[in-house]
This record gives sequence, C-alpha cells and structure tokens, in this order.
Amino acid sequence: MSIVALHTQALVLPEAELYLDLLGRALQAARLNNAFPDRRQLQNSVDTLRDGLRHGVYGELYVDARAGLPNLASFTRVRTDHELAAASLARMGARGELEARRDEAEVFARMADRHAYLERLQRLELAPVDQHRVLLRRHDPASGTAAFRIELTKLDASGVYLRLLIELTQVSSLWRRKVVDLEADGETAAASEGFRAMVYRCADLDAETLFVRLHGVEGVQVERVARGVIGPALYSLPVGGGVAVRRTMEAPDDALGRAWHAWSLGAGAAETERPEMMVAFATDCAAGEVREEKSNDPVSPLLAERLGPQEGERYRSLRGRYPFKVFKDRKFVATSGLKAMVQGVCAAAGTRNIVYDLRPA
Amino acid sequence: MSAKANLDVLNRQVAYSGEGISVKSLETEIHQERTVQDSKVDELKGLRERNVEIQGAMADELKKLRRFSDYLNGTAHKGGFLAGLKEVLSYIPGLKGLALSQRSIEELLKAQYHLSARRVKEAAEYVDTLKQSEQDLYKEIDRINVKIVEMAKNERSALGYVLELKGVQEQLKAEEQAAEAGSVEQRDIQANADKVHAKLAEHSTNVLLYGSAEERYARLKDNTRKLAETIRNLANDIQQYTTASSIKLDMASAQIQAIGRAADAAEVMLEMKRSLDVMTESMNVTTQFVSDTQMFFRSNLDTFIKDLETFDETTTGLLEENLKKSREIEDARIKAAIDKAVAQQQQSAPAGA
Repeated sequence: MSIVALHTQALVLPEAELYLDLLGRALQAARLNNAFPDRRQLQNSVDTLRDGLRHGVYGELYVDARAGLPNLASFTRVRTDHELAAASLARMGARGELEARRDEAEVFARMADRHAYLERLQRLELAPVDQHRVLLRRHDPASGTAAFRIELTKLDASGVYLRLLIELTQVSSLWRRKVVDLEADGETAAASEGFRAMVYRCADLDAETLFVRLHGVEGVQVERVARGVIGPALYSLPVGGGVAVRRTMEAPDDALGRAWHAWSLGAGAAETERPEMMVAFATDCAAGEVREEKSNDPVSPLLAERLGPQEGERYRSLRGRYPFKVFKDRKFVATSGLKAMVQGVCAAAGTRNIVYDLRPA
Repeated sequence: MSAKANLDVLNRQVAYSGEGISVKSLETEIHQERTVQDSKVDELKGLRERNVEIQGAMADELKKLRRFSDYLNGTAHKGGFLAGLKEVLSYIPGLKGLALSQRSIEELLKAQYHLSARRVKEAAEYVDTLKQSEQDLYKEIDRINVKIVEMAKNERSALGYVLELKGVQEQLKAEEQAAEAGSVEQRDIQANADKVHAKLAEHSTNVLLYGSAEERYARLKDNTRKLAETIRNLANDIQQYTTASSIKLDMASAQIQAIGRAADAAEVMLEMKRSLDVMTESMNVTTQFVSDTQMFFRSNLDTFIKDLETFDETTTGLLEENLKKSREIEDARIKAAIDKAVAQQQQSAPAGA
C-alpha cells in the first residue's frame, strides 16, 4: 500500500475494521491511567470510525504513516459528525420512513444508514484533537500564591496522541504578568494566551526540557511535568488471503522503528499470516518527588547518558540548579508475533518493560 | 322511411374513471399540484442561495489554507517576511489587527481545518436533501402521468359518447321533419331531441374539461421534470465540489500539522532572533563604546600622562606644603606644651628649697 498523501496511509474494509478492532482492544489491554489521554474517549472515537466504515458513511480510514494511529482527518471526521448530528437527524426525519423507502433509490438507503450511525454517535464523548484545561489545586489569597494543574491533550504533528500535565505554583504580584489568571470567584482559572501557546508549542519536548523552559518564567515555580504518549502503533495486516500486507510504512528511526523494519523484511513477518499489532505507551516525568533519576524506556534514554564528557559536565552543572529528577518508562501491548521483537528491543536497551498480550478476537 | 333513432344511448351510464370532473375540481387539483411544485421551487431557491454561500466560504477558507502553505514554502513573501506573516495571520479569526500572534499557529491552523471540514460536511448533507427532493418529484411525475392517462381515456369516452349523441340528434331531426307538424309523434320526437341536447351539452363540457385537464397535467409534468433535472444538476454540482474539497482536506491534514509546526518553530526562531537582535544591539553599542573609549585614550594618552605628571607634581607639591605646615603646627604645639610644663615646674620649686 502506498502513501496517499504526506505521512498518510489509507485503509479500507475489511482490513480497516481489523485494524480498528485491534487498536481498540490494545487500548483496553494497556490499563491506562490519567497520565495518558482519556482512554474512554479515544475508544469511542475508534468505535465510531469503525461504525462509519460499516455503515458506508466513509469508504476509507486515514492513518498516520509514522505513528500508525488514526490521523487528524480521521479524528476530525467523527468530531464534525458529532457536532452536526442533532441538526442532521432533525432534517432527515424518522429512520422508519427512510427504511421504508430504502429500495426506492440509493439515497434513501444511504440516509437510513447514516441515520443509524448518527443516532449512536450523538450519545458518545469523543477524543479531542486539542484540549486545554487549567485546574486550581490550592489558593492562598493572603500570600497571593495559587497552585494550578495544566492539562493539554493533543494530537501531535508527529502523529502520536499525548497528554501533558504541568503542576506549578504562581506568586502573583502587581509588577508581574501572570501566566494563569484566577477569576473573581477564586475558583475558575485560565492560562494567558502567551503561556498557553508556549505550552502547546513545546508539548513535543521531553519533560526535562519543558521543566527547565517553564521554570524560567517569572513568578512561576514548576513542581511537576509529566507526559503520557500513546503511539506508535505498528501493525501488519495480511489481506487477500495473505497475498498482500498493509503495514505501518514510516515507523520512526529509533530502536523500535529499526526493529520493526527488520521484522517486516525478515522471517518473522513472512511466517505470520495473522494480523499483528504493537502499541507503545510511554511516560516521561520530571518532578521533585521522583526518587531516582532513571530511564526504563528502551527508546528514550536519559539525556545525561547521551552526552559526551565535556557536555555532560556542563549539563550536570546546569541541572544542579533545578529541583527535579527524571523518570521515563514505556509499556507495550503486542500480539504474539511481535512480542519477541519488543522484548528484543527492551533487552538490547537493558530495560524491563511490561508487555501486555493482545489476543485476536 | 329511415330506421328510428336508437334512444337507448340516453339511458347509458358513461363510466368515467376517477372522481368526476368539474371546472372547480380541476382547478383545485391543478392548484394542489402547483403547490407541491412551488414548495420544491422555494426549497430549491433556498438551497441554491445556501450553496452559493457555502461554496464561497469554502473557496475562501481553502484559499487561506493554501496561502499559509505558499507563505511557508517561500512563494508568498511580497513585502518581506514579517509583512507576509502578518498578512496570513490576519486571516485567522480573532487575530485581525494583531502584529504578531501569541497563539500557536499549529493550534490555529488545526482549528481552521476543523471549521473547513465542518462546512464541507454541511454542504455535503445538502446533496442528500436535494436527491431526496429529486426522488419525491419523480414520484410526483409518476402520479401526474397516471392522471394524464386517466384524463385522456375519459376524454376519449366523452368524445365517443358525444359522437353517438350527435348521430342520434341528427336522426331525430330527420324524424321530426318527416312527422306531421303538431302531432303527438312530433312532440315525442322533440322531447327526445331535447333530452339528447341536454346530454350533448353535459358531455361536450366533459370533452372540453378532460381535454383541458390532460393538457394542463402534461404541462405540469414538464415543469416538474425540469425542476427535478435542475435539482439533480444542483446536487451533482454540490457533490462534485464537496467531494473534491473533502478529498483535499483529507489529504492536507498532515500537511496542515506540519506547516503549523514549522510556523511555530519559525515563531520560536523569531523570538530567539528578536532576543538575539537585542543582545546584538547591546553588544554593538558596548563594542562601539569600548572602541570609542580606546580611540579616545589612544589619541589623548600623551595628554593624560602629562596631566598625570602634572597631577603628580602638583599633588606632591601640595602634599609637601601640607606636610611642612603640619610640622610647623605640630612643632608650635610641642613648644607650647614644653613651655607650659617648664613654667609649672618653676612655680612649685621655691617651696621645697
């Protein structure tokens, strides 16, 4: 299957349904906590995409060729359907009438199917493409101190789906522009446009870099920066009785991507006629409460481990000024054919990672 | 003598299909058909206006997205980099008038993409509404065709009966002429002739009405067919445009994100450039100052040294003068103290001798 547009692959039935089924079950198997984007919303989006294909509302599913997840076009399709569902259903009238005229003309059959699709969809909460939330943790008017938690859920330009959590304390002052404003009721908070934009732009940086970047903002004391990243999803779907294969075409150039490439070309892929999928779920945290600075992520070692002696010395000196340690981790969900590949990557990096089973339906 | 006229025709019940016709009933039915048509025409007008509006808005938004792409490709830098950036940012809702936005361009582009996708979807839904209307009109055409056939059959029946009645009327006329004037037979023939005439009047009206109805329904059918074709063409136009736009948006989604990310990176670079510019400016000023100072020193060094020597000589002179005066003052104080001590000693000495 070729790339149909920049970093975009298209899947059609039946492999598209197979892909979505695997992805949905991988999300459930991963046991995600709130460091990651909301699993239920993402699950709803995946299920809706599958419904759309089954009902013939859409003929194809667009997937990011690098991260292997549904891309911006796919996420946006179901979100716009959700927004227009109520008005569309009112305009279409009762489904019974459309069903009664189903054989009369193709348009009635299509409208009846779309009606069924929209009826189910309008009750669901879907995954956002971009969502900012600012939550107040503590407020001490006497000292002008307020502690906030900023959450950003984002479909990143690299194709992964991530959540960024920032916990910070702000001391307000007449002479200082605030990054987070507290409303008069003392309960509702909103980030200033500039700060929100900075967080958004820097969301794909690792937690350590982001911590340092934010800590430099006047009046702000960062306590914790944590990222939860869903993706990449590497899949291999035999079609036409195994004659052809649909697989992730532009996996990232890291240890995992290289292992995937080797597996795709090697005996492992040739032997399997089953659909295979591996989804990675990474966490990256920079906080004072982290006890030991460590990376248990086979794809993302600590920065200190990647620097030469001279730069390392300067880096350690710089880090000494900041009150945090870094902890990185990654877990996987994989079908049996890809489990060995994942375990090989982890063993090569010297990490010990959870690999949940992804069993076929 | 000719055969007597067959008067059975007067008792025949002519079976017209349908509910019977009158001028009023025909007008009412045609009016109802026209009402259906008029409502479809109104619907079509509304849809057409909305379609023009949606197409215009979609074209605008796709143009904006294209402009972003051109800008960042470097093909739209008329007026310089910052002027270009300001121009494209002004397209984004809420940012008109701002020199440079604080907001992430990737986020703004994704929001714009969402709006465009939603508009395309709204427009695409009209296609199904139009196609549904088209099908309703074809059903209407079928119904009108049934009516046309019915009217044609009824007109034929009426015509046949009228011709029969005309034949009987002419026979009765001949019989009347043959009968004795004022006789019972003549009166009888005249009475039958009147009945025939009444029937003729009734069914001649039916001929006219059914014929007129047939023509009017045929015209209505033509108009309905034209309306259905217009709706079909409009639906096809919209479908073509929305399909093309939908494909364009689907294909461009990754590009939108990449462009946004690059623009944000450019924004970060601009901020860095601005801070570097400030730093460079400070450095230039400082360097210039150092250089000027150096030049100043170099060109005035001899004078400075001379001034220093003068300073030294003058200061030394002053210091020495100072020192001399201090010593004199000190010597005077010492002498005064000694004189006082000696005087006291002389005062106390004779008492002890």
